[in-house]
Amino acid sequence: MHQTDKFIRALEELAASYAEVDYQQRGYHVEVMLTGDQLRRFAKLMYELEYYLVFVSAVHAAPALEGRYQFAHFDVRSRILARVPVGDDGSLPTISDIFQGANWHERETRDFFGIVYRDHPYLEPLILPETSVDLKPLLKDEQQLKNLEEICWPPAAEEEGETSADQEKS
Amino acid sequence: MPEPCRPDSKPHRFFLNMGPQHPSTHGVLRVILEMDGEYVVDPQPVLGYGHRMHEKMAECRPWPQFLPNTGRMDYAAALPYNHGYVALIERLAGIEVPLRAEYIRVITSELNRIASHLLWFGALLLDLGAFTPILYSFDDREQILDILEDITGSRLTYCYFRVGGVSKDIDDKFVERTRAFIKRLRGRFPMYEKLVNGNIIFIKRVEDIGIIDADMCRRYGATGPVIRGAGVPYDIRKSEPYSVYPEFDFEIPVGSKGDSMDRFLVRFQEMEQSLRIIEQALDKLPEGPFMAKVPKKLKLPAGDANFSVEAARGELAYYLISDGSDVPYRLKIRVPSYSNLSLLPEMCRGMLLSDLVAAMGSLDLVIPEIDR
Amino acid sequence: METAVSHELVRMVIAAVLVIAFVFLNAMIMGYLERKISAHIQRRPGLMEVGPHGILQLLIDGLKLIGKQLIVPKDADKPLFRLAPLLSFTPVVLPLIVIPFGPKLQVRDLDIGLVFILAVSSLNVMAILIAGWSSNNKYSLFGAMRSVAQNISYEIPMLLSLLAVVMITNTFSMQGIIAAQNKIWFFIVQPVAFLIYLTASFAETNRAPFDLPEAESELTAGYHTEYSGMGFSLFMLAEYANMFVVCSIATVLFLGGWRGIPLPLGDYGPAIWFFLKVYGLMLFMIWVRWTYPRTRFDQLMNFCWKYMIPFALVNLLVTAVVVKLI
Repeated sequence: MHQTDKFIRALEELAASYAEVDYQQRGYHVEVMLTGDQLRRFAKLMYELEYYLVFVSAVHAAPALEGRYQFAHFDVRSRILARVPVGDDGSLPTISDIFQGANWHERETRDFFGIVYRDHPYLEPLILPETSVDLKPLLKDEQQLKNLEEICWPPAAEEEGETSADQEKS
Repeated sequence: MPEPCRPDSKPHRFFLNMGPQHPSTHGVLRVILEMDGEYVVDPQPVLGYGHRMHEKMAECRPWPQFLPNTGRMDYAAALPYNHGYVALIERLAGIEVPLRAEYIRVITSELNRIASHLLWFGALLLDLGAFTPILYSFDDREQILDILEDITGSRLTYCYFRVGGVSKDIDDKFVERTRAFIKRLRGRFPMYEKLVNGNIIFIKRVEDIGIIDADMCRRYGATGPVIRGAGVPYDIRKSEPYSVYPEFDFEIPVGSKGDSMDRFLVRFQEMEQSLRIIEQALDKLPEGPFMAKVPKKLKLPAGDANFSVEAARGELAYYLISDGSDVPYRLKIRVPSYSNLSLLPEMCRGMLLSDLVAAMGSLDLVIPEIDR
Repeated sequence: METAVSHELVRMVIAAVLVIAFVFLNAMIMGYLERKISAHIQRRPGLMEVGPHGILQLLIDGLKLIGKQLIVPKDADKPLFRLAPLLSFTPVVLPLIVIPFGPKLQVRDLDIGLVFILAVSSLNVMAILIAGWSSNNKYSLFGAMRSVAQNISYEIPMLLSLLAVVMITNTFSMQGIIAAQNKIWFFIVQPVAFLIYLTASFAETNRAPFDLPEAESELTAGYHTEYSGMGFSLFMLAEYANMFVVCSIATVLFLGGWRGIPLPLGDYGPAIWFFLKVYGLMLFMIWVRWTYPRTRFDQLMNFCWKYMIPFALVNLLVTAVVVKLI
């Protein structure tokens, strides 16, 4: 299977909620819901299990911004998406000391969304110019802003009949 | 003469500004180098000169209208970018693509990959001061561009794939020309090897330069020829097979040390593997329609999905969040060069300036892709 | 009517004009050849627009460069910045005075001809250093530093290899060295010295694969990054003239100078042989440039100090012993 028991056990230790999802439908295997406090421990776990960082990004939805982290594995077919709601102060802990590649991704996410990554070594604009620090292009305005439930799959989606028609052969 | 140094740096250090217009930064990359004589102490890339905010553009238009944008990120290998995006929408919408279309996609994508590698081959040698190989490789690349121009209508920023298929069917002339090209390129490889691979100056310039091991790739998320050069056979075409790639027999070339030479050889061998894929695909090419029936106004179900493809430079991932309407709610584009470049400071610390150029060339960077 | 002194004066003026004219002509011929040959090496036609097969292109380019504005960077050291191109031009004109184009076709046959050439042509380094320093540009300074280190290092094996020939001939006079080759050309007697000289001359003229001072992929254009118009073209003229000088020395010392199968052209026959040999060597330098990648700086220096100088020394020693014994 795509997932080691070790990973599941460690996740349970972390008390993070997770769900195995249909790869055919979503393109990743496990969705993990984290809180800001768990994020760093989770990232360390990912590093120990030899996952690599695919990207760090975020999405702006109604209750709060939500950070999204994707990890994948070089040897095992396993792709993991972590969702972390941003705290009330608009910040998340950095994981750039665990996955150095996150450094740029976090700077970029801050450019686009204004999420502050705590303890980031050099949180300066990367893609956008220094002069437009207040411009957060990917934040939605009021009319466009959707609730988080509206942009998620319905819980316990049983739509495998529909998606098996996909061209994927895994 | 040196600019005032930062307080934490030693007094005899100085800054050298490389780019955004510099012959070996290939586009508009800028690297601020903290130098100690000719040794690079700390290279810091500065991005954003080619930034167009594709991710915002995606949120402002219906699904299929974003397609031309996908070809404008990695202009050297645009078709895998097309591929990832249309495949993602097909995944979400549950559209079944005709088999012939998938074959056409694979053939053209692989041709594009070869074109991209040929471009890189010439550019790397140009970085190392050899002027001639780039014109030889452009000679070959030109053939690919001509072949692709005939069916896609463009030479560089392709927008050929459509949701549900491809925009135009390939004909016998295409098959014939592609076969002729395969034969031609196979005949040219020995020449490249004689001219470049065995050259003592070239070997001395790239061997043991810019070593990247698997752990470093993991920490930075480096993929593509960079991780394969480090000896890990990681290729999305094999590890998370998409399209009709599982039907072809091809190998993943890997290196051993992870130096610039390994990355060079990996890309060089990948061209041969791509030729193999194209050959098999042309042999097996099924008849049938090249476009599926797709509703005019495409609405995708609410939810998120990811689609990763192996672009010429590594893993390209489109991560998309849909709110059920006909425009994307959020589209994250994970580009390979972005992660590959981010390891530059660690890779190049303490290197000579000339080695930095060689190591940067071996990463095969396309800057508009990084800036998006 | 005329006294002997004024004859000599007229001779000198004519010689000076001819020599300077030759430097420009040489740069035009070499510029054309380099572009055309590199084009054919790269399987493209090259110059085609101006004149048949583009032979007038370099004339037009020269006019264009003359017409261009000389831009002096704001923070540059202006007097030195303007001086440097002229300074690079002088040392390459002077050696042409003692180069024997034919048995009689020579401005002056100095007794210390070879020493004169080597002394004067090492001045070129100073021009490059001044150009790099006065531009107030770090890339230029890098190029200048590389160039100085490289030229000074490679002068040693070059001199040592030439010294081996001088030991055999017992003279520094250019005509004397050619006269000593009436039986056998010295590249057969001194193959090691010839190879060392040829390699060192690539470094001395800053040509690929040793073109580190102007390595464009690293240093944009090295020491002449900031130069435009004629400032830049004087450096190019100097480079080609420099190539001509080093190839002439190689021809005189190793390839028998103007000697060759007699041609029915009187005094000009030997001159033709001389130019054929020199341009043959220069075409070889072009060929190498468009084939090989560039070496790295430390590799270049290691190659000089670890291989070329010891080999040149051993060669010199062997020559000395053999000369003593015979």
